Amino acid sequence: MTANKKVLCVAGGLLGGFINGLMGGGGGVVIVLLLTGLYGLSAKKAQATALLVILPLTVISAVVYIIGGADWGNVLSTSAGFTVGGAVGALLLNKLPSVAVRRIFALLLIAGGIRMLFF
Amino acid sequence: MIVWCVIFGFIAGIVGGMGMGGGTLLVPLLSLLDIPQRQMQAINLISFLPMCAVALIFHFKNKLVVTKNIGFTVIPACLSSLGGAVLAQNLDNGLLKILFGIFILVVGIRMMVQSFRKKKLKCVKGNVHDRQLNVAANLPHRSHRSS
Repeated sequence: MTANKKVLCVAGGLLGGFINGLMGGGGGVVIVLLLTGLYGLSAKKAQATALLVILPLTVISAVVYIIGGADWGNVLSTSAGFTVGGAVGALLLNKLPSVAVRRIFALLLIAGGIRMLFF
Repeated sequence: MIVWCVIFGFIAGIVGGMGMGGGTLLVPLLSLLDIPQRQMQAINLISFLPMCAVALIFHFKNKLVVTKNIGFTVIPACLSSLGGAVLAQNLDNGLLKILFGIFILVVGIRMMVQSFRKKKLKCVKGNVHDRQLNVAANLPHRSHRSS
C-alpha cells in the first residue's frame, strides 16, 4: 500500500468514526466505500470487514452514550427486537429481490430524513 | 412504548441482517415515538453490538473479513468516534436530529440513484450478450448463403 493510500485510509477512518460517534451510527456507509475504493475489496468482503472496523468504535461510542445517560427499558426492548430481526434478515437475504428491497429501504430513509428535518 | 420499540427494532433488524445498515432505519422509526435524539442514538449503538458480533463470527468463518492493513482505518476511526460521541453529548437534541435527517436523506437518495444505475448496467450487458448471440446465430446462415 502506497503512502498516499495510507493517508487516505486514515482520513476515511477518521471521518467514518466521527460520523458514527456523532450520529450513533451510519459510519458503516463511509467505511464500506473506503474498503471497496482504497482497499480494493469486493462488496461482500467490504461489508463483512466494515463490521470489524465498526465493532470497536461502536463499543467506545456506546460507553460514552451510556455515561451520558441511557434509558435501559427502551434500549433492551429495541435490542431484543433488533437481534431477532437480524437473524430473520440474514435468513431472508437470498430469498427477496434485493433491488426492490433496496429501493423500499431508500424510500424509507428519504421519507424518514424529510420527516426528521421538517416535521 | 416497549412493544413499539420491539416492533421497530425487529423491522430495522431485518434490514440490518440483510447487510443494508439497519441502524440508519432504526432512528427514523424510533423518532415516531418522540424519543429524544440522543437516546435514540444510544439505543442504536447498543442494539447494534450483539448482531455485529454474531455476524462477524459468521463472516470470519466464511473468510470474508480482511485484516491486512486494516489498522490504518480502525485506530483513527476509534479515536474520532470518541470525539464524535463526546461532541454528541454536548449538542442540542434538535441539532442532532437535523444532522441525522440530512445524513439519512443523502444516504437514501444515493442508494436510490445507485439502484437504478446498477439495473442500467445489467441491461447494457444483457444487450451486448444478446447481440453476440445473434451474430453467432447469423454466422452459419450467412456462410450458407454465400456458398
